[in-house]
Amino acid sequence: MLPRDERILLTLSCKLAVDMTDADFRDAYRTNKDVLYRYARRMTGWATAAEDIVHDAFLALWRNSSGYDAGRGTMRSYLLGVTRNLALQRLRRDRPHEELDEDASVIGPLDIAGLERGEMVARAVGALPPLQRETLILAEYEELSLEEIGRATNAELAAVKSRLHRARENLRRMLTPLLETKGTGYGTNG
Amino acid sequence: MEPTDDARLKRLLREWKVEDAPRSLDERVLGGRQPWWKALIGGSVRVPVPVALALAVLFVAMGVALMRPRAVSPPAIASSAIDLANFRPVEHVQVRIMRGSDVDQ
Repeated sequence: MLPRDERILLTLSCKLAVDMTDADFRDAYRTNKDVLYRYARRMTGWATAAEDIVHDAFLALWRNSSGYDAGRGTMRSYLLGVTRNLALQRLRRDRPHEELDEDASVIGPLDIAGLERGEMVARAVGALPPLQRETLILAEYEELSLEEIGRATNAELAAVKSRLHRARENLRRMLTPLLETKGTGYGTNG
Repeated sequence: MEPTDDARLKRLLREWKVEDAPRSLDERVLGGRQPWWKALIGGSVRVPVPVALALAVLFVAMGVALMRPRAVSPPAIASSAIDLANFRPVEHVQVRIMRGSDVDQ
């Protein structure tokens, strides 16, 4: 993430954006900022990282709005793709030990005793391999269709289905105690 | 009716709530694109601490220097009033010695 010189960069880059008006940009921002932020927040686990990532995604859009082709998908899919790339870059930097391309991992039960239910879920989703995690987040939390997820993550439909299936299986395994007790005995929210 | 495994998992996943984008993001993304005059009124500049300290010391030193009473200096001779453009040496010099009694007369 760049330091706060971004304002200067934004101002300087105004000249480069020829096909996107200021109103278009603001509209794209207002419509998509929350989806992108929640996605980045759940992918990275950090609010500050999510803010940086979403900021950089919109900076990229403003600098190179011609990169968006309406014929290939919605603005949301395009921005999610940009945000996804930035989030994966960030994960590569912050968690070099984590294998990003591994999408077939099987994860065992987590030690989540003592946490609140929301925190347990967060811990379990965060433990998924990144490709499973992003697919699950987009499907379960942002309710994107499988086709939209495929466009955003640059994956075939079959790969999306497979990752989603594995992610759910892993979560069931990790969260077994919560699923069996139906919300009693763990945490305080249930 | 007992919920299915999928429905139970879905419901459980929803217990992880994440807030929407904060206002600080609006400021960062849209704030830099406001007109220059708005930026002039409401803008801010980040200054590194060493620079801020140096500026503060400089201002204090300047303030002290301005407040201190100045020493009175002797009046300067207006050398620019002397104009030698039409100066001519005298042709005849007559020396007269005058005493005090001559002056009185």
